[in-house]
Amino acid sequence: MKNRLKVLRAERDWTQARLARELDVSRQTINAIETGKYDPSLPLAFSIAALFGQPIEQIFTPEASDPQNG
Amino acid sequence: MNEENKRPMLDRLCGDMTESDRRNLNRANLWLALWLVSFAASTFLIKGDVVSSGLAGWIVAAAPLVVGLGAMLAYGRYMHQADELQRRIQLQALALGFGVAFFFGFGYRLLEKVGAPAADISDVSMVMAFFYFVGLWIGRRRYA
Repeated sequence: MKNRLKVLRAERDWTQARLARELDVSRQTINAIETGKYDPSLPLAFSIAALFGQPIEQIFTPEASDPQNG
Repeated sequence: MNEENKRPMLDRLCGDMTESDRRNLNRANLWLALWLVSFAASTFLIKGDVVSSGLAGWIVAAAPLVVGLGAMLAYGRYMHQADELQRRIQLQALALGFGVAFFFGFGYRLLEKVGAPAADISDVSMVMAFFYFVGLWIGRRRYA
């Protein structure tokens, strides 16, 4: 799954640590999501969407290789 | 170079945590340390024949089990409240440790029959612990 987390974070000039604190997750989690190594749970995806004030589908988009699209 | 690669290697290896994760894991580690102490003390008392039978023997032998229950509860609390990526890393490490120990435990029985040195349950526990830590290391590298 692709995501715009890094872009949204950069727009606010936030560090990964700051975003992690806002979402109450580890900085490693933020880094793993941004680099595409880890897809967040639905509750965390909703929290991210709420924090940035955008719908989930504008932040996370499926890739052709994702299982649900295969 | 991303932000992760700029961090000190030891920091990257240990992974960073939320405050509640750090607190819960410290608590679980404290229980684990208590278990180690109680296990060593009970082993010393029983093997040294300071206590061997009767009620005192049962109490000394059961003490590590009681402390171990506390360690399990503390670890369970950590897992229940853990950051979701940390929980995934822990689960993958537990799966590796348990899986290897399970198949090693049964497989080694056959190896013993063809001449391998005899092993007991504590050896299986050591294998489980070793591969659990290998799993943690792999997970932290994978998601670093």
